Amino acid sequence: MPDIKAIFSKVDKRLLAGALIGLLFLCLWAAKAGLSKYVIFIISLIGVYIVAAESLNLTNGYTGLFSLGHAGFMAIGAYTSTLLTFPVKGRDLFVIAKLPVFLGGPEAAWPFLPALIMGGIFAAVVAAIVGLPVLRLRGHYLSVASLGLMVLITALAMNLRDLTRGSIGINSIPTYTNVWWAYIAAVITVYVVWRIVNSSFGRAMKAIREDETAARVQGINPLKYKLLAFTVGAFFAGIAGGLYAHLSGAIRPYAFSFNLTFQIVIMVVIGGQGTIAGPVVGVVILTILRYVLKPLEEALGIYGLVELIYALLLIVTMLRKPEGLAGKRVGDRKVALLR
Amino acid sequence: MISSEYLIQQIFNGIVFGAMYALLALGMTVIYGILRLIHFAHGALITVGAFSFYLFFMVLGLPFPAAIVLIIALGALMGLVLDVVAYKKAVGGPEVAMLITSLGFYIFIENLMKLIVSPQPYAFHTPEFLDRIYSMPVLTFRTIDIFIVATSVGIMVFFTLFVKRTKMGVAMRATAESGEAARMVGINISRVISISFIIASAIAAITGFMWGAKYGQISYNMGFMAGVKAFVAIVIGGVGSIPGAMLGGFMLGILEMFSVAFLPPGYAAYRDGIVFFILILILIVKPSGILGQKEVE
Amino acid sequence: MLKVEAIDVHYGIIPAVRELSLSVEKGQISTLIGANGAGKTTTLKAIMGTLLPKKGRVWYKGEDVTTVPADRRVGMGFALVPEGRQIFSKLTVKENLGLGAYHRNDREGIRKDQEWIYGLFPVLQERESQLAGTLSGGEQQMLALGRGLMSHPEFLMLDEPSLGLAPIVVEDIYEVIQEINRSGITILLVEQNINMAMKISNYAYVMETGKIRAEGAADEVMKGENIMKAYLGE
Repeated sequence: MPDIKAIFSKVDKRLLAGALIGLLFLCLWAAKAGLSKYVIFIISLIGVYIVAAESLNLTNGYTGLFSLGHAGFMAIGAYTSTLLTFPVKGRDLFVIAKLPVFLGGPEAAWPFLPALIMGGIFAAVVAAIVGLPVLRLRGHYLSVASLGLMVLITALAMNLRDLTRGSIGINSIPTYTNVWWAYIAAVITVYVVWRIVNSSFGRAMKAIREDETAARVQGINPLKYKLLAFTVGAFFAGIAGGLYAHLSGAIRPYAFSFNLTFQIVIMVVIGGQGTIAGPVVGVVILTILRYVLKPLEEALGIYGLVELIYALLLIVTMLRKPEGLAGKRVGDRKVALLR
Repeated sequence: MISSEYLIQQIFNGIVFGAMYALLALGMTVIYGILRLIHFAHGALITVGAFSFYLFFMVLGLPFPAAIVLIIALGALMGLVLDVVAYKKAVGGPEVAMLITSLGFYIFIENLMKLIVSPQPYAFHTPEFLDRIYSMPVLTFRTIDIFIVATSVGIMVFFTLFVKRTKMGVAMRATAESGEAARMVGINISRVISISFIIASAIAAITGFMWGAKYGQISYNMGFMAGVKAFVAIVIGGVGSIPGAMLGGFMLGILEMFSVAFLPPGYAAYRDGIVFFILILILIVKPSGILGQKEVE
Repeated sequence: MLKVEAIDVHYGIIPAVRELSLSVEKGQISTLIGANGAGKTTTLKAIMGTLLPKKGRVWYKGEDVTTVPADRRVGMGFALVPEGRQIFSKLTVKENLGLGAYHRNDREGIRKDQEWIYGLFPVLQERESQLAGTLSGGEQQMLALGRGLMSHPEFLMLDEPSLGLAPIVVEDIYEVIQEINRSGITILLVEQNINMAMKISNYAYVMETGKIRAEGAADEVMKGENIMKAYLGE
């Protein structure tokens, strides 16, 4: 039996990665050619979720924070990119604000990529502003504050009617997102996260996750790294939001509620926090599960079945295998206390 | 422009809501003090309490006092179950793990309720004597308002006495300060934690009833915002302080009422958002809250 | 009375104590000395039950108590006055003392013990209703000691009772420790201040990096070279 590990470690990782990516795009091309629009939609959605989940992984998995605001950042990205790309003709029809002069003027509509990036940047800026005061404090504060931020953003989305059309939302968004966009974004996200994690930044983040006080003693300033993780996470969440908006073609404030955050959190946790592959695994499995169960849900008239199962899976994971499907056991109980 | 009657009415409303927030905050802070955990699932107990009352009182037709006693018992039981199933294993591990588990349990219970009772809100009826309206020159209120404030204050007084005068109460305060030292004097921490859950959950259940009675309707997700706002109340009043939690609750109620009252109409939907804006403001300015001490990182 | 048999205790993943054995005779005062980080506190915690040894056993009056949880050991007659006092600063002096007797039910006995402790430390009675956090270092040590005594122990452990205290206060504390011992309580002492500790002890153990390096009658050990070596880390 050949020693697989030995062979594996000799193979140039980059070559391997490149081959896998190539294989991926080959499969996508085949899928696009052969499968139904519905399935292709789901596949694209998976790509978008990977962007969201992998970026949340940076904050939650690697730095040990517990941000619940991801949906808020996605909302920012979604609305920003939509408002930028919306075709000029449609703006009159759908009562959407025209772009101010410094963004191109009333006759302008941005192309997809810059709009996406703008969405991400805006989300990152908000993250930085909120993160600065909140990340100094104990982790729980971040959880509730980020949750609150998401609620605030949703409230804004509902009330700034001139900008966002309120709870009606925006429809007929040009569906620029396709499998290619989704998966190129996914690959880039995974790559960026991988680079960060394997750099000195990543080591610092992991040190903070393990033991913040010890990390401080080693001269690591926790705030700086937490802020970095939070902001970069938000950037990609913004991008994911923009991709989502241009995939489904419609966005409403309600779509970016706690439910969405929770879904992404679950995908990261069940897949495996703190590993690169984890979120991908989580996204794929849970998305497929959702769309497999959907017809059942409708047939039985049981709405919320999917969320129930998601929650159950989360509980089981936390109680049985907290490091997730792809995760390794991290650290250990500090002191063997007899409870 | 704003009449003094309007002001007084709003302050009164704020006190009523504040009383409910204070009760929730109380339960949450007890658990947070001992376990350093934001018990997300706490909110679910409100939902369970409200719907159980609906079941006992409206569906089964049990007399009011019996229904109340039953939901308190049910709440206590659920708290114990949560303690045993959810948290016993997670204690001693990473804090984040407990947060996630807590969240998972909340979502599970919420969606289970959604399944059982349907996504539509239910109309909540209370016994007739709680619905009587009293119109005074300065203030208008219903009996339920008095009930809520009186019960809340009663519970808070009772709890404060419990925590100061009884052996278990003092043990709880000691455990909140240092679990290790508590064990060294012979306190069984497991039992203290279980009792904390039981008390907090029973309080949450009856608060669920009050919530439903005040709003007139209940839905499967009513507990979520209530639970999170309870945490905001704790932060306002000072984490780790029991009087702080109660103070924070009342203040939150009044602040929320004020902002709703004084905002131009149409902005009322910002209500929840404002609560969180206040939270972020406090975290920036004085994270330890009004009565709290600086938390050790 | 107490016998520790070859215990290994880990602090997280670090092995803090290895193959440690010691025993304390009934009615005696034994001391565990060693430099910072030698593992003395860890040993006491393992004996008390707040840490679980990975290997080895702890025997108390002939019974194997290795896996008995700390709060139950208090009921068996153990008490630990921990390093740094660890009193409940948000509770009053009286409440702290009361908690010491948490596991007891005999009102008469509790009352008598409280009187005895107030006799040993009159200042505690003066400050009965004050919050423990407002006491001075010496007073807090007295409170910690008093709290430990309130559990009516047969076996009392003291972790660095002289830490951070003025010399005159330390003398007072040590007088009290002797008086406690005279009343029949067996004592295991951990100290860095070896002079005071050795003066009152019958037997001593010298610890270094998790192991016992030397042991013997207190005055013998004082004279021996081993103690110097352990202290200077030779």
